[in-house]
Amino acid sequence: MSKLDGFHDKDFLEQVTILNEIASSRDSSTLNGLMDLFENPTGDTGVDYMVVNTLNAVLGANEDAVIQGLHSQNLAFRTLCIRTAGEYTFPDAAEPLAEMAEDETDTDRLAEILAALAKIHPANGASIFRAFLGHDDPMIASLAMEMAGAYADSQAVIFLKAAVEATDATHSYDQCDITTWKAIDALATMATPEAIAFLAANVHHKNPTARRIITDALVRVGEPAIAHLESHYGQGDVDQRILACNIIGFIGSRKGADGLVQGFDKGYFTEPNVRYAAFEALGRIGTLKGLVCLVDGLMETDELILMAVVTGLERHAAPGILKTISDRIAEGGERSSRIAHAVIASRALRLFQELYKDETVGTALLVELKKSQDPEILSDFATRLEEIGTDRSKADAASLPKPKTATRKALAADDSKSMLALYRSILTDMGIEPLMAVNGQEAYAYVEAGEFADVVITDMNMPVMDGMELVGKLRGSLGYEDVPILMVTTESEGSQREMASKTGVTAFLTKPFKPADLKAKLIEMLGG
Amino acid sequence: MDVELAKPFVKAAMDVIGTMAFITPRPSKPFVKKNSIATGDVTGLVGLTGDGKRGSVSISFSKQCAVAMVKNMLGDDIQDIVSDVKDAVGEITNMISGQARAGLSEKGLVFQGSTPTVIMGDNHSISHMAKSPIMAIPFETDEGGFTIEFCFE
Repeated sequence: MSKLDGFHDKDFLEQVTILNEIASSRDSSTLNGLMDLFENPTGDTGVDYMVVNTLNAVLGANEDAVIQGLHSQNLAFRTLCIRTAGEYTFPDAAEPLAEMAEDETDTDRLAEILAALAKIHPANGASIFRAFLGHDDPMIASLAMEMAGAYADSQAVIFLKAAVEATDATHSYDQCDITTWKAIDALATMATPEAIAFLAANVHHKNPTARRIITDALVRVGEPAIAHLESHYGQGDVDQRILACNIIGFIGSRKGADGLVQGFDKGYFTEPNVRYAAFEALGRIGTLKGLVCLVDGLMETDELILMAVVTGLERHAAPGILKTISDRIAEGGERSSRIAHAVIASRALRLFQELYKDETVGTALLVELKKSQDPEILSDFATRLEEIGTDRSKADAASLPKPKTATRKALAADDSKSMLALYRSILTDMGIEPLMAVNGQEAYAYVEAGEFADVVITDMNMPVMDGMELVGKLRGSLGYEDVPILMVTTESEGSQREMASKTGVTAFLTKPFKPADLKAKLIEMLGG
Repeated sequence: MDVELAKPFVKAAMDVIGTMAFITPRPSKPFVKKNSIATGDVTGLVGLTGDGKRGSVSISFSKQCAVAMVKNMLGDDIQDIVSDVKDAVGEITNMISGQARAGLSEKGLVFQGSTPTVIMGDNHSISHMAKSPIMAIPFETDEGGFTIEFCFE
């Protein structure tokens, strides 16, 4: 007598108990009875749902029945068998599934078949998935691409490359085809020299979302990507060199730092914005060679580059290096005050505390600190001076100017710490209260909290919410319809600017810039 | 395997909205976005955990589409359009999440779903919690559009 005899007449609890028992014993003699229940449901959704799960469990212990079921005329049962074959990775199901995939016209079922095959991962799978790389349904094409990556299918590379190049940026800046996304990821998973070289060559993809995905993919690839990225130093355009530096900084490997130092030695980083990116990357990695190069960076005259250098040194400063910085400031003259100003404007508190120990250097730093109009900078350094706790430091803390109250506000969004520090210093200098954010979302949170800004400064490429989307949202927000928006960007491509103008940007400024340029621009935008 | 996870939600959304609200959605081309913001007028959001993954799925309706669904579901019996829309979107999100999870569990992917949260406000934005790219599938209906967004990490 079968456990399932008279199942329909039993009450709910008994039915559930029986199904639970079968599901745990996975007794194959119940298969026919369960099939019968599957075809003639009880009508109680809960019980019928359990029947499916129980059948799935019993089928999981009966590979033959599953393979047979793949040819069942009952479509629901066939689908269940396809799923079970995938879930339990039945190797013998691969062949019939591959045959089914060839003939299947229903895209939902085709997706099921391919998903099951993906889990079984048969040795000859690469060619099966390759056939679907150009499928009309983007979901199916994406699945095929994922698997091309998993199989490191060299014959698929040509399709993947085409899919990466296919995305069209003109419609929408923040959208990218899922096939482009999957193709990038598949190439990164393969991580063959050819695949990495292709991704590296496309760091400045015309679609910003694709660009971001390529950046993330190359960071994931890590060290093997470095040599390919470094080839941009000598040959790439400005954007490619900047992006190569950024990615190498994020990879954070010593090898990358060595390459950056060589790039400086060979004179590849001539443009100020490339130098800025290269120093920022070196600051992220922080090898000894890199730090020596950063110390050389103290000779830079551009305020922004100097702040990238100081931010990097703040992160890694070792005693030997502190001594050199200290000597440079102690020398006196224009360069000394520039460095001292960068230490203050970048809020390099750790560096400050060490440098302050020398009285001459401490005095030079204080001179710059007293020039600052920024209430937060003044209060941060005052606190630090109090913490140092000597009579000299306490007296210095007391001598700091009291911040003036600002009447105007500016909202500034940038994912670079040194850029934000620079904005803060310039804005407070102009008597404008800065509202700082590391991405568009944080910036927009100020607006949602009811803050009003007289002017907005934003970067273009930022994580979470980029500048373009922020501008779009601001233009749709009450009170921000006509507020001047300045986009500060390293992008030199005209097409990106055009897109930004359409979104509602008032004016542009290319990174890096002289503080005077930004001031002039702000004065112009604020109408004096 | 984001695609494998997304597919059941798309199917469930079409089934549920078709059956409950008598509106036939037509899926458009899916895309990925790098920011984690979903925008719409009414959004149902569920968090999912299981299979070593966590993520969220949101369904953002345009105002027009949400109102049309409520009218089709409740007929003339609308008491308070705002609370009825909120209720209906929550219920529909819950049903879609439930049906999709049932489909996934047949593949051995067992997810727990949170109770849906409904966010209302013209052109609001919400954040997904994952850092990976967000997959979005836009749908068109005769009554305005809606978008399903996924992110898993």
